Amino acid sequence: MIVASPLQPLEDLLRHVLNALHSVGLPWAWSIVGLTIIVRMLLVPLTVKQIHSMQNMQAHAPQMKEIQRKYKGDRTKLNEELMKFYKENNINPAASCLPLLAQLPVFIGLFYTLRHFAKNPPGGQAAIDRGDFSWLHFVPDITKHANSHWSGYVLLTIYVLSQVASTYFMSGTMQKSQRYLMMILPIAFIPFILRFPTGLVLYWMTTNLWTVGQGLITRRLIPKVGPPGGPGDSGPKRSSRTPPKGPPPGGAEAAEAAEATPAPKPNNAAPRRVKRKKKARR
Amino acid sequence: MRYVGVAAVWAYRFTLAPFLGVGQCKYHPSCSQYAIDAYKEFGFFKGTLLAGWRLLRCNPWSRGGVDYARDQKVFK
Repeated sequence: MIVASPLQPLEDLLRHVLNALHSVGLPWAWSIVGLTIIVRMLLVPLTVKQIHSMQNMQAHAPQMKEIQRKYKGDRTKLNEELMKFYKENNINPAASCLPLLAQLPVFIGLFYTLRHFAKNPPGGQAAIDRGDFSWLHFVPDITKHANSHWSGYVLLTIYVLSQVASTYFMSGTMQKSQRYLMMILPIAFIPFILRFPTGLVLYWMTTNLWTVGQGLITRRLIPKVGPPGGPGDSGPKRSSRTPPKGPPPGGAEAAEAAEATPAPKPNNAAPRRVKRKKKARR
Repeated sequence: MRYVGVAAVWAYRFTLAPFLGVGQCKYHPSCSQYAIDAYKEFGFFKGTLLAGWRLLRCNPWSRGGVDYARDQKVFK
């Protein structure tokens, strides 16, 4: 509760959105999925910048590999050299901590909102008996603990798989040992998650699947970036990996369109890119 | 007192960090490592301020790079 109270306005807001989704006609379970997707969609602008810089990193991969080869034995030195290299080449390494932390209150708020929702289901027992809280005909009641019905284990399995997959996509530059730890952790959390209401597992599953989807889109588009200074370089680089509700820069351009027209089209990002490339060539 | 801060960072690393989909920090050392260093070197309050300032700098519009807690310029 100590953690929750400063988040009360956020929770109220989320609860209103959840109620609104339900009153539009979505069943409660789908309202949770919808709410999760809305939250993730609103967070997309934060991640788009990261994705763009990830492409930039990809373009400079050969040089980075060279550095990695040079300082293979010394991890600290290697990291330092890599970071210096990013700086010299104006590369934004993919992840930065602040956008990640921006998600934190939202996720905590969503967590509390859904937990409160599951503990005090609107309509009470009558609504539960009516099947208002069932999902896809195989989850009888999303307000019950995940281990109360076999369907909870199914969701849990999907959750673990999606967690591992999302970790896989998010941890491109991570050290191997760290990566394994990140993949093992969700399994360590299972005993706790079993006691969560199924609706929360549903939310977690959705948010992970969203991450996986984002990762897949990112992955598919990254290899299209040519080597730095290459002729087709500027085209695919500016291609949009922005899901529907992305921010304006490069948002409208479809990936295919960018591929078809490698000639640079002026847009917001263009001048900066040119500068960057010049620096890389030197 | 400063080890409360260090413990908090470790708690974050093992609970919330995996759920946020953490990649790698753009700075070296990473923000959480920076926070631990800052706590150890400057104590709880200064450490918290330094770590907070570092987090604010670790945004999509900054460039990252090598940045040790001991090289900080906030407190002289």
